[in-house]
Amino acid sequence: MSDYFLGEKCIKKVSFLIFLLVFISCFTISKDLYSKPETSVISDGHSHEDINRGKRVFMGLLPFNSTHESCVSCHNIKQVDTLNWNPSAMAIAAKFADKDFESFQQVVMQPTGIKMEASHKNFNIDEEDLKTVKIYLNDLAHSGVDPAKPTYNNLILFLFLGLLITWGVVELIFLHKIKLKFIPLIIIIGAFGIQVRMIVTDAIKLGRQENYAPDQPIKFSHKVHAGDNAIDCMYCHTTVEQGKSAGIPAANLCMNCHVLIREGANSGKFEISKVVEAAENGNPVDWNRIHNLPDHVFFSHAVHVGSGKLDCAQCHGAVEEMDLMKQQNDLSMGWCINCHRETQVDFVDNKYYEHHLKLHEDLKAGVIDSVTAQDIGANDCMRCHY
Amino acid sequence: MTKYWRSIDELNNPVEFKKTEIKLELDAKRVGIGEQSSSSRRDFLKTLGFSLAAASVVASCKKPINKAIPYLIKPEEVTPGMANYYASTYFESNEYCSVLVKVRDGRPIKIEGNNLSSISQQGTTARVQASVLGLYDDARFKSPIKRGSAVTWEEADEYIIKKIEQLKGANKKLVLLTQTIISPSTKKIIEQFLTANPNAQWLQYDAVSASGILKANEGSFGKALVPDYRFEKAKVIVSFGADFLGTWISPVEFTKGYSLGRKVLDKNDEMSRHYQFESGMTLTGSNADVRFPIKPSEEKTILTALYYQLLQANGFMTIAAPGSPVDVKDVVADLLENKEKSIVISGSNDTNIQILVNAINNLLGNYGSTIKLDKTVNTRQGIDADFETFISELKAGEIAGLLCWGANPVYNHPAGSDIKNAIEGLELSVSFADRNDETTNACHWVCPDSHYLESWNDAEPKAGVYSLAQPTVSKLFDSRQVQDSLAKWSGVAEPNYYEFIKKHWKENLFGLQSEFTDARTFWNDVLQKGVFESKNNISEELVYSENGIDEAVLLANSEQKGWEINFYESIAISDGHAANNPWLQELPDPIAKISWDNFAAVPVKWAEENGIVNESVITINGIELPVYVQPGQAPDTISVALGYGREIAGKVGDGVGKNMFALSAIENGSKKLWVAGADVKTTDKTFELALSQTHHSMEGRPIVRETTFDEWQLDPTSGNELKKEHEEHDVSLYPEPEFKGHHWGMAVDLSSCIGCGNCSVSCQAENNIQVIGKEQVRNRRIMHWIRVDRYFTNDAENPEVYHQPVMCQHCDNAPCENVCPVSATPHSEEGLNQMAYNRCVGTKYCINNCPYKVRRFNWFQYVNNDKFDFASNTDLGRMVLNPDVTVRSRGVVEKCSFCVQRIQEKKADAKLDGRKLEDGEIQTACVQSCPADALVFGDLKNPDSKISKYFKNERNYHLLEELHTLPSVGYLTKVRNKTS
Repeated sequence: MSDYFLGEKCIKKVSFLIFLLVFISCFTISKDLYSKPETSVISDGHSHEDINRGKRVFMGLLPFNSTHESCVSCHNIKQVDTLNWNPSAMAIAAKFADKDFESFQQVVMQPTGIKMEASHKNFNIDEEDLKTVKIYLNDLAHSGVDPAKPTYNNLILFLFLGLLITWGVVELIFLHKIKLKFIPLIIIIGAFGIQVRMIVTDAIKLGRQENYAPDQPIKFSHKVHAGDNAIDCMYCHTTVEQGKSAGIPAANLCMNCHVLIREGANSGKFEISKVVEAAENGNPVDWNRIHNLPDHVFFSHAVHVGSGKLDCAQCHGAVEEMDLMKQQNDLSMGWCINCHRETQVDFVDNKYYEHHLKLHEDLKAGVIDSVTAQDIGANDCMRCHY
Repeated sequence: MTKYWRSIDELNNPVEFKKTEIKLELDAKRVGIGEQSSSSRRDFLKTLGFSLAAASVVASCKKPINKAIPYLIKPEEVTPGMANYYASTYFESNEYCSVLVKVRDGRPIKIEGNNLSSISQQGTTARVQASVLGLYDDARFKSPIKRGSAVTWEEADEYIIKKIEQLKGANKKLVLLTQTIISPSTKKIIEQFLTANPNAQWLQYDAVSASGILKANEGSFGKALVPDYRFEKAKVIVSFGADFLGTWISPVEFTKGYSLGRKVLDKNDEMSRHYQFESGMTLTGSNADVRFPIKPSEEKTILTALYYQLLQANGFMTIAAPGSPVDVKDVVADLLENKEKSIVISGSNDTNIQILVNAINNLLGNYGSTIKLDKTVNTRQGIDADFETFISELKAGEIAGLLCWGANPVYNHPAGSDIKNAIEGLELSVSFADRNDETTNACHWVCPDSHYLESWNDAEPKAGVYSLAQPTVSKLFDSRQVQDSLAKWSGVAEPNYYEFIKKHWKENLFGLQSEFTDARTFWNDVLQKGVFESKNNISEELVYSENGIDEAVLLANSEQKGWEINFYESIAISDGHAANNPWLQELPDPIAKISWDNFAAVPVKWAEENGIVNESVITINGIELPVYVQPGQAPDTISVALGYGREIAGKVGDGVGKNMFALSAIENGSKKLWVAGADVKTTDKTFELALSQTHHSMEGRPIVRETTFDEWQLDPTSGNELKKEHEEHDVSLYPEPEFKGHHWGMAVDLSSCIGCGNCSVSCQAENNIQVIGKEQVRNRRIMHWIRVDRYFTNDAENPEVYHQPVMCQHCDNAPCENVCPVSATPHSEEGLNQMAYNRCVGTKYCINNCPYKVRRFNWFQYVNNDKFDFASNTDLGRMVLNPDVTVRSRGVVEKCSFCVQRIQEKKADAKLDGRKLEDGEIQTACVQSCPADALVFGDLKNPDSKISKYFKNERNYHLLEELHTLPSVGYLTKVRNKTS
């Protein structure tokens, strides 16, 4: 049986090793991310020089006398590109990677669609320059863009506090430079307190993602759809009243409208063409999932929206104002339970609640004036955990 | 004063010895303490926890990005996260069952009984329940195979078609060997194949056949048939070795009828009386009112005696009846009293015995009332003698090609190795098996069939009763239905079996009904319901004749001496075709409570005399078998289960137990499932068995309460007098729990429960219960949420047996709840004893404090762990998991939840519709498919519900009610219709 467990003796060693490994890997992994890809793919006999030149043209550094706006002013090169309606350089690169220069040139120089016509007006780019731009984009499609630099504020603060503690301890025991002993003591306690708080808050946040708003493969805007055009939530999220999940609309449902609407006011044709392509070519869209319930929880939209008649906004916030969808609430258990405590149940109209004879009697007798979700057992463990 | 000493040192110098002893002891203790403190598990967890938390802050861990991929075109009937149910048909190993398949997000995950079927009537067996796991078996073939290497269908077709042509040209014999085929469309396809290939012959072979019955009825009625037995109409049931509740012919149907005929709830309810003559203790025998342990060789003598005595009573005969080893006077009297309302059956494969049985039933006028000849049962058509002819032809080299479908004679025939050698030497040998077996392994080609859950099919299990099977998932592997293969090889360019069935139904079955005027709507209706019965049944009158009775009554003059070994199909594994199914392997035998092995059930007296105990090893004709000392085993007999000892079944089934088909005998061309004069030797060896219940007695506590039918008629509370007494003492300091809405409860009718174990496997499928393997079952860690306890009472030579399903009792005053230090198991507003897995820290206090021992602890990680290499260790096997139930991890306690996911689902439906729940709308997994209708689930707050009526019944009691745990599960006393 003993081989199911770790040998008792090596436990301490192992735990130390794990600790060390986690630290080391944190640094090595981040180092790996930064090292530039050694080999840049050179396609069709183009050199690094061509690519660099193309990059400069794209950035607006070349030619010196250009009168129009640079490509990069609209088409971001960064991976994260949340607020920009225009397609990123990466998206364009991916789209034109396997197309020839002529089609690329036609799209850039003879734009169709209101938005693109307006922004690509008066474009005056040499064919040679445009060719290098295409080469650059091809290269970009192969090698990808540099990842965004992660911020290390937390780490630096944490390490700094550690240093402070070390200094305080050394001061207390060996140096004795400050006469008032409570000063280093306060610093030690304070720094340690902040460190603990950092750990605790981050530990609580583990698995929770309030305000999480990832980039999506299509720059779909709830503001445009639900806000500006006032489309009802349930037009797309059809199963919200019957199913456990509200349902992400299938591509063919998008095509109900987009079979006609091929150009958007903000994004032009580029984004809509993605969903058209998905529907036509049969490649489903890989959306990034925003609302992830914690593990071991079962939740049903049908109960909350279908019979509970909750408004979508109560949990999801003002979706009609969000260009980029984000998670409004932390979806923690405390949040669920609090709502169950306060939310009143439609006890009279729904015949199902005739099962709860006792509560009906109490209501009639005036012992209670309303029935909350908690009163009918909504906060029982096995309502959600089974 | 006498001085005791332990060593010479102590004797010589006691003071010094004491000092050194103490020093040594202290040193030893210090070493222990030092070791403990340096390596405690707690420290390890602390360090690990801190390092993880710190690392997460420091490295600001990235959360994993989950993808949400919607449909491109959403199918209209599919709502993500909601289950769909499709009617289908299970037919494996001669067992038919009409089923509903629960499909969640494209995956079949659960089998339910179909209440529209007149045969299975919403019941299933454990084998049917487990068949869904067979779909996700990684032993299945992934593509066609030629001599061990994968090929394409084109290559296979090209070669096989050419070869079949060659054989046809040379007029060499080609045999299509199948199990019994009950599909009318498949029969038509086979017909086509035979027409296209006149050199071909079709042969049906069943591992455990009904050839005795078929032959006998051919003699008695001029037609080889298996009649339709109606147990619900019988007042007296006499069975000779037929395990009709467990494995014989149509167990679900018989169990339904049997339990209907024995349901005693209200004053005027009647109860049939069941006599069982058998050698080993079968499931059926354990339910009998009167059971006679007999040797298999005595069966014919007793039947003859019974026949003669009945003849005499009818005034036909004057000569004296032959002596019988057991006194059958009472049986005769009972049978005569209940003419036309009795049933006599035998499980024997001996034609003469079956002819005798026919004569007796005819004498009693049972034909037409309890035994019907119009709706004949089609599930066992194989004639053993035909197969023996086939073997001799095969050995003689008269057969050049073999197409083998579903039959596994290399394993389940005593001449298996000869058959294997002969098959290997054939010009063409093709197996259609969907996973490897002993016969397939001998064949050159494998053209894998699709699983029944991936296939279209139809069935006619009984004359005039039809059902359809439809695919519930697209094919997981590169398989092809045999019907398409055969059609292709008969020259059909683009075979489409689905269209073929539709056409067949339109042409042949559409006309049998008048409800629908359009063939398409008829088809859609049947497809939705799964079953169709033709009303206008035209069947010929069959007249009984006494053919063969003179020969049948002739007794073998020499009395049998020595050991008689009786082979039976076990409840879980039956004939061994699903041996690679871990759910079935882990299902304990209903009587012995042993899983993961077959064993020799030996008589108690012999064991005592020879110093044999459980787990001793004996040899039977050279085969070593572990012993289970079986109360009720007839003297001089040993029973051993068939279906074990598979050599090529897959990672689970390989080498589990011993193959007993090898010992079976061929007599008069029939497979005889008992042998006389066996050589039994004891050995000094032992073999560990996975026993999940070693206790046989109730330790003097009234766990099962029982009465007899006569006493119950006089006083319905008989046997349950204790309840009143307990209720009088029912005083508590605590207020009575109050339920504002629902109060869920379950009732178990011990009189109906036959102990088949269907509930255990159904629950296992529904609630993601893990298989833990033989070693852990031995360690008493079996995970089943509902177990069926078995108790013996009275005489060990012929005891009475009780089956009692025990699941969490959902006590309203639960002892487990108030000992949990982390409140992981509180009580719900609806009377459920809840279990929050993510709160549980695994102290196991609750397990210790539960008087019913229904809580299970996850001692290990059973999922994705190579140490437990069963279904849950592969992605494929995990596809069967129910997404509505958490898969528990190591270190947490789990137990029956009353299928809370089903309660929640139905409540949500009702709330959404704004209506009250109907009684019986919520059915837990165990209740839904119980073949005996022994379980009832419902709302105790609803006074009109079935459960409330059961709870009010005089027979109702609670387990250990003296503990004042206030269980929400009630038991109805066991009633036996004993002879007075």
